[in-house]
Amino acid sequence: MKFLFTIGFAVSLSTGGLVAQDIRWPQFHGFVTEAFSYTGGNNYLGMNTNAGSPAWIEAAVNGNEQITDNLRIGAQVHLTKLGAFGASGLDLDWALADFRIKEWLGVRAGKVKIRWGLYNDLQDADPGYVWSLLPEPIYAVDWRATNLSQMGAELYGKVGLPSRVGALEYSIYYGYYRYAAHDGYMETYKEEGLNFRDLPGGITPGFDLRWRTPVKGFTLGGSVMLYNAKGNLVNGSFREPLTYWPTYYVQYNRKKFFASAQYVRLVQYNDVATDGQPFSSSLQDTRSWFVMTGYNLTNKLRLGVYRTQYFVAGADLSNPANYFRDWTFSGRYDFNVHFYCKLEGHLIDGTGGGFYGFDNPNGLLPQTKLLVAKAGFIF
Amino acid sequence: MKTTLLLATFSFLFGLFPAKAQIVIVNSSVRVTEISKSDLSDIFTGGSTHFKDGSHAIPVTLKSGPTHESFLKEYIGRPEKLFRGSWMALVFAGQANMPEAFNTEAELLRFIESKPGAIGYIGKPEESAKIRVLTVK
Repeated sequence: MKFLFTIGFAVSLSTGGLVAQDIRWPQFHGFVTEAFSYTGGNNYLGMNTNAGSPAWIEAAVNGNEQITDNLRIGAQVHLTKLGAFGASGLDLDWALADFRIKEWLGVRAGKVKIRWGLYNDLQDADPGYVWSLLPEPIYAVDWRATNLSQMGAELYGKVGLPSRVGALEYSIYYGYYRYAAHDGYMETYKEEGLNFRDLPGGITPGFDLRWRTPVKGFTLGGSVMLYNAKGNLVNGSFREPLTYWPTYYVQYNRKKFFASAQYVRLVQYNDVATDGQPFSSSLQDTRSWFVMTGYNLTNKLRLGVYRTQYFVAGADLSNPANYFRDWTFSGRYDFNVHFYCKLEGHLIDGTGGGFYGFDNPNGLLPQTKLLVAKAGFIF
Repeated sequence: MKTTLLLATFSFLFGLFPAKAQIVIVNSSVRVTEISKSDLSDIFTGGSTHFKDGSHAIPVTLKSGPTHESFLKEYIGRPEKLFRGSWMALVFAGQANMPEAFNTEAELLRFIESKPGAIGYIGKPEESAKIRVLTVK
């Protein structure tokens, strides 16, 4: 913690002089967070949380330069260390050129964040929301690294509609992605007996369309991310046919009140061929949703609550592995524009997300209580 | 006289004629002369990057102070921390640059005078051929 605050003060002093000078410098921003997680029940998210774990650290630094009024270039590196997950060093989160030709047409190219649902492009930016953990069934912190961004291009813009009808914002993208080396996808495959020789990857086209309604602060939207993958197993081949990952969402932000909800259905096929045998296919059909709301009690204190649920359609729902339900209560306090802290409690029922065999060797209990305390610095 | 004084006091107390604590100004290159509250809010929250006439909009802000707070309250509807937080979210997602922020109105004014497309706000009227006051509807 002392280290965090020391870095915070040093960086805030060094960047304070960059604003509003006659000579324009590239903008630099970043954040560092340190979380302490404690559970009663199972170990969670690859950490030894039953004993209390400080093993969740995140940091990011970005630089942006506005070359012309319409052209911006920038990049961000990100570090996630989440118990057994996360990169051993810095990951390139995004690196792009952004050319805004008109209000209704812009182009981003390079490594570009994927706009999907309400929070996909923001989910690794902790200062951007009240919660310590976003709803695990849709924005799993241990699985997020794979689908955060893609190598390719995005067309985006905002189209004004006739008066009193609001506006439409769109994002259409096409690119390539690769599974993140150290996240929950790879660990889950490993626990299912699939050992990869290299990281699978594929294409990931998709789009997002959101309607900024005439009701101030009220947004309706939907996204579809498509992806496929091919990879080489130690003893065979792996492929995912093109998968549709649709989601629908609604958001309302007005003055001190905020609320949102999102629903996802994912139908995913995995084809595996081992030891020279033909491909055999497995199907998983899952549904997830959340409803969240909160209130800014003061300029410094925000409180929120959400309910989220996940289940495997058609599966035996008396088996906790086939569902995940979570009540979350969260508070965030901003000491000033640089320092903040969060405190969050979870009442989790089911083991359908975030729980792994490697740190729960004696099996999983059906219910888990979780407390997360987090401190953050932003500049 | 007594009636006028009473009316003036009533109007002041109940905000019938609220005095604007800030004046929205643009670089003189900007061709629009008025802007809706909603469009102004969109520009200052990253929702829009252009004025209605199609020209590029460059929002700039004060770092703090009564003019800044009053502007955020009246046109953005968010306190400083949430205003800054929403911009930071766009920055971390790779979607925008933070608006330039200035310590004083004089610095902000100087920037707007020199930057085509710039839009900001000040607390009291300033004489300058390089800026124009926008009417907010």
